[in-house]
This record gives sequence, C-alpha cells and structure tokens, in this order.
Amino acid sequence: MLGVTIGAPRGKTELVPRWKCDAGDYVAAAEISKDGRFCIVGVGDGRVLGIDLATGRELFRQLAHEGGVLGVSLSPDGTQFATCGQEPNAKLWRATGELVRELPGGGAQWVEQVAWAPAGGRIATGAGRKVRVWNAEGELIVETEPLSSTVSNLAWRADGTALAATCYGGVHIWPFVPGAKTRRFEWKGSLISLAWSPDAKVIACGSQDSSVHFWRLASGQDSQMTGYPFKPKALAWDSESKLLATSGDATVTVWDFRGKGPEGTRPLQLKSHKGVCTRLAFSPKKGVLASGSQDTSVLLWEPRRGTQPIRYAFLEDEVTALCWHPEHRGLLGGDASGNLCFWEVS
Amino acid sequence: MKKIPVTVLTGFLGSGKTTLLNRILTENHGKRIAVIENEFGEIGIDQALVINADEEVFEMNNGCICCTVRGDLIRILGNLMKRRDKFDHILVETTGMADPGPVAQTFFVDDDLRDLFSLDGIVTLVDAKHVHLHLEDSSECKEQIAFADVLVLNKTDLVSEHELEQLERRVTSMNSMAKVLRAQNANVPIPAVLDVGGFDLGRAVATKPTFLEPEYPFEWAGTFEVEESVYEVALEDGPDPSMDLVVKYLESDEQAETRAAAERAVRTWSEPVLTVAPAGRIEIGASRPVRLQLDAAGSKRFELRAPRGGRIGLYTQHLPSEFGLQVLRGGIAVRPSGENEFAAGHTHDDQVTSVGIHLEGEIDGERLNKWVSQLLRDKGTDIFRMKGILNIKGSPSRFVFQGVHMLFDGREDRPWGAEPRASDLVFIGRKLDREALTEGFKRCLA
Repeated sequence: MLGVTIGAPRGKTELVPRWKCDAGDYVAAAEISKDGRFCIVGVGDGRVLGIDLATGRELFRQLAHEGGVLGVSLSPDGTQFATCGQEPNAKLWRATGELVRELPGGGAQWVEQVAWAPAGGRIATGAGRKVRVWNAEGELIVETEPLSSTVSNLAWRADGTALAATCYGGVHIWPFVPGAKTRRFEWKGSLISLAWSPDAKVIACGSQDSSVHFWRLASGQDSQMTGYPFKPKALAWDSESKLLATSGDATVTVWDFRGKGPEGTRPLQLKSHKGVCTRLAFSPKKGVLASGSQDTSVLLWEPRRGTQPIRYAFLEDEVTALCWHPEHRGLLGGDASGNLCFWEVS
Repeated sequence: MKKIPVTVLTGFLGSGKTTLLNRILTENHGKRIAVIENEFGEIGIDQALVINADEEVFEMNNGCICCTVRGDLIRILGNLMKRRDKFDHILVETTGMADPGPVAQTFFVDDDLRDLFSLDGIVTLVDAKHVHLHLEDSSECKEQIAFADVLVLNKTDLVSEHELEQLERRVTSMNSMAKVLRAQNANVPIPAVLDVGGFDLGRAVATKPTFLEPEYPFEWAGTFEVEESVYEVALEDGPDPSMDLVVKYLESDEQAETRAAAERAVRTWSEPVLTVAPAGRIEIGASRPVRLQLDAAGSKRFELRAPRGGRIGLYTQHLPSEFGLQVLRGGIAVRPSGENEFAAGHTHDDQVTSVGIHLEGEIDGERLNKWVSQLLRDKGTDIFRMKGILNIKGSPSRFVFQGVHMLFDGREDRPWGAEPRASDLVFIGRKLDREALTEGFKRCLA
C-alpha cells in the first residue's frame, strides 16, 4: 500500500470540530468522563482544567502542580479525579475542581504516574521506584517495595482487580483479590509504554530499544516484535482485545491477535502521517482507531476494513493527547501548544 | 527550533562539583537553568529548578555498552519539555563514580532527546590534591578525564606549581582535546564551562601547535640567567650514545618551562639536528636542535657561548639526572632558576590517550564514512570520544562531527571562507594505535 498521502485520499473527509479552545500550554494529559459530559485536561503550565464536552465551556481552571501536570485520572463514577505532576505530591480533586487532599509520593521524586482503577475505588500513583495505592478518600492503603528502577507506567486490569507497573527490568502485577499472588515478568529492557488488553489476557509494552514486548498472562509466555525504527511510545488495544495498534515512526503498525496471531503474521501498516506517530486511541464502541502525529495530523482508521485513513483533522502542533467519547460521539485532541479540539464523529 | 544545550558535570567525590553548581546557579547570568542532580546531591537554591534523580543506567540490545543510556534523563527531560516556560540550559550532575559514557550517549541515542537537546559539553572537575589516588587504578576516574571537553583542575591552592604542571601534563596526555582550566574553589569563568559548544578545534590547533601532539619531544626544561660569557655543558656517562637539546633566549619575564615557551622549543625541535662532538660548540638560539655525541667514556664538555646576557631556556631530550648534566661557568655549576619535567612521548603509562591527526587536502566523504563506520564497529568500545573538523571534497563548508563510542553525529558548519582548508581529527580512548588511525584517515583523502 504505497502512495497514500494527506490531501488525496478517496472518500476521506475532514473531521468537523464541535469546539476548540486554548488550554494555555502543552496538553500533557486528558480524560473524558464515563457519562461523556465533561473532560479533565492537565496542562504543562501546571493547571488542570474541567471542560464541558457539549459546549467547550470551561468549568474550572486550577493550579495543580507548579512545575507542570503529568497525569490526570478520573474516578469511574465521575465525581472525583486525581492528578500528578512535576512535584512530589499527587492530588485528589472533586470533579468540580475543589482540592480534596494531597497524596504524598513518599520521597523527593516527582509523582509521574496516576491511575484510577476502573472499579473498586482505588487510585495508584508511581513516584521514583515505588507504587502507592490509595482509596477514594485519599488514604494510603498499599505501598510497594521499591522496584528495580523508576516506575515508568501504571495500568489497572479492566475489572480493577489487579495493578500492573513497568520499569526497566520488567512488569510487576499486584492483585487486589484475597489469596492471589504478586507476579513479575522479567525483561531486560526499559519499558516505556504499557497497555493491558481489555480482556485482561495480554500485557503489551513498548521498549526503549525500539521493540514491542508482550506477555500472555495465562501461560506467562512472552513474545517480541522488533524492527521498529523508533521507540514505540503509543500502544492501543481495540475494545475486543484483538487488535494492538503500535507507534514507531510515521507508520502505525497493527498486530492481529486473532487465531494464532500475531506470532508469525505480518502486521497491518497504516501509512499516511508524515511525522512520528505520538498518540493512539481505539474507540471503545467501534473498531475505529485514532492516531496523532508530530506533524499535527489526526487520522481515523478502520484497520479491519482497510489501510487507508477514513477521516482526518489537524491541530497546530505535535499531537499530545487523544481520547474518545465513551459512546463514540466524538474525539478529543490536544497538542503541544495548548490547542484543544473536540471533533464530531458520527 | 534551537536545541537546548546540556552540560554534564562529572568528577570524583570532593572534586568540587557542588561548589561549581552553586556558583553557576547563584551567579547572575540571565539563563533559566534546570539542574538534574544525582541522588546524593546537596544543592538547595530557590531560584533554580533542581530535580533529584536516581542515576538509572539502562542497557539495551544485549548489553552493548554503546547503547547504554541514562533512563532517568530520558524521562525527566521529556517531561521538562512539557512546560511553555522552557529552559535555556540543562545541567546534569553525575555521581562521583559515574561513567560519563551513558550520559553522553543518551543525547545521541534517544529519538526524542536528540531532537530537543544538544550535548554542549562534559565538564570534569579534578581534585588536584587527591586525584593521583584514583588516577592509577580507577577506570571511572580515567574515563571522566578522557570524556571531558573541559577539565577543571580544582583546589590548586593545595598543591605546588610543580605538582600542578605534572598533573596538567598527565591529564593532557590522556585527553588532548579538553580545555584545561585551573581553579580554587571551582572559581572558573562561567562561560568557560557553560558555552563549550563554541569550542573550536581548528582555532585550538592554530594557537597551540602541540595541541594535536601533546607529548613533548623533550623530558626536561630549565631556565638559566646568563651573562655575556662562555659557559660549558658537562655530561657524565649515561644510558644513551647521544642526546638532543635546544637552547633559546627567552624574554626577561619568561620561564623556559611554561607551555608557550615549550611550544616554541617544539618548533625548533622539529628541524633537522646538528650533531656536535665533545668540545664542540652549542649555539644559543640556533634554529636547529643539536645532538650531543656521547659515545666516548668519561666526562664530556661542550662549549656554550652566550653572546649577550639574559635569560635562556635549555630543553633536553632526557632528564639531566640521567647523564649528570650540568651547566658550568669557570668550572662552577650554575643552577637553573626554574625547571620542569615533561611527559615524554615514549613513556606514557596511561592506557587512556588521545590521538590527533592533521591532514592537508580534501577528504572523500564516502571513504571517510566507510572508514569511520568500520573503525567504530571494531574499536567503538575503546574509543571514548572523537571530534573532527573536516575538509570534505565538494563542500564549501566545514563539516564538524563528534562521537561517543560507536555513535556519531555530524553536520555542515559555517563556510570555510578565507580560512585555510584542512582536516583535524581527535580520538580519545584506550589502546589507540596512532599509526593505524593516521594511516586509515589518510586513505580517506580524495
């Protein structure tokens, strides 16, 4: 599939923005509430914003982390959210923008990771080599032993019963059900991205050495996909846990886990971005994949149907955030200059 | 977008890294600096952003040392770039025992950092008083010196001038590329450590003829005050059948053993020698070195006639003590007013050395690329650093490049203009074969 270029695709149409706004600085993190009514956006200037998704109206703007926000995560019921940034405390907020309490990281290091469990009322934070888990009131319930190096990613099992963390050296999994054992998958490499399949069967990681490594949890068996020209910073599973989209350079590589795959199969190569792909997000409802690039472009694909993009849009700087409306009604995108846009998708 | 310069500060514990950092941060230079400090760091200054980091050295690709990077830097610097209020300069302080390789390599290897940052320079602080405790047996210490763009010999108030010059020679023989600064309390000019990127190899070569060959051809220099008279140079039996020397008049305030004077002597040294038999005459200020014939047994005397009074510098191929060499006037020994020993070319015991090669003529870019690629594949582990300014055939501009282990990065620089076109290449590393490197580089001539 050669020669697919922006501007001359068949049947490809531009996405229509419902609203645009200026977040003020680098959009470092964004999440849409489960009811699709609002989004929380963490910004490089240290502020956290609440925005009404229907209108783009700003609900609040609070200084959260002086040095810059690095992560935001909403509670499943949408009443609270947690933030982390370039300082040694994470913070717990009401969805309306009032600070509830601080969640200390336990050292001088920044809290770089925050993840609210999809169920069970737990919040995980990663600072330095330790992971801490808090309840919804912001009370510390677990602090792990130090990992072999700094925590690089956190991800909850889809049902909230286990937490995975990556670092240089492997993946740790802590269960939150009685009697279950902690698991550890060793891998001598720096794992820079993490995606746990929605069916909880596979953990996939992008590695600094330009490969994607994955483990099948049932057997503990691992496999590696090499040959990426750049480190795969973005990973995304489709809602059926069958397709794993991975970034590398400008090409989006999609591995198919159906049947005996992806071992021994050739991946789909989605080529149209002109710059390195920075963000990937599968729609929770349809098999639609959104990809964002350093070249400011945002593209929608249907990898099961073809390797040409179906819709496109542009931001004004490197795409740094992409998230889907939970009912597939729209796509939120943010860029490195603070531009936020919510596009209609119907 | 302009890349943000990064300065790496290395040096053993107690060498003065923290003192220098504090000076940089408190001095009013108008730069917004972010400091990434190792876990033992002790800076606490409000006006600067200081980030504590565990040094996390990540190996990749089955442990190849050239792909070893600092994972913490990749993470932290990536996050720092998410602020609109970006920084003008980044300082990275390493722990005392750190190998500077992974820090430097990080800026070549990582896709993101390579685009956003440039390694401005590696500044290594050396505790002039205590470094000799580590220099012999610590590979980290040697590597920190070998990797440096700037070497700050700190705490000079604790050692004598003689010790300092010995140390300077020693470190220069390991790394001829670095700019050497002397300091007490790390009191070096800030621009000399923060704007090293402006370091111009070509200019350094032009102003310092021995830059590319720091090993002096003589082992000793002495300064003597003379009157208009006839002196004698007397020698006893020694280990060699001959010895070369150069005698020059100096300025009245100049010492023979200073670097500038020594480098003038080097120029004379490179001329064809004039052999002189015992009882023969040595001319002060001759444009050629003399070779004293010493194969006869017993004392040998040579006439040293001073046509005018003044200060002279005597440079000898071997140490005077090896031959019982003396300068006599009327049979009485005249003591030098100053003297110094130099590291001789054939007696360096350091595994870590530098090799500089100067070539006139145009370089064939393709041949060079092949040669460097092959060389780094074979010897990349032993080649710590490499810097070059190249005269590439068909290009109006200077081509500058630098490398760390197997990684290198080159770009077109400013046009040559009226500057004489020539190529200079410096390697610093372990077990370097000067002849093979020179031969290889010569084969790249167009």
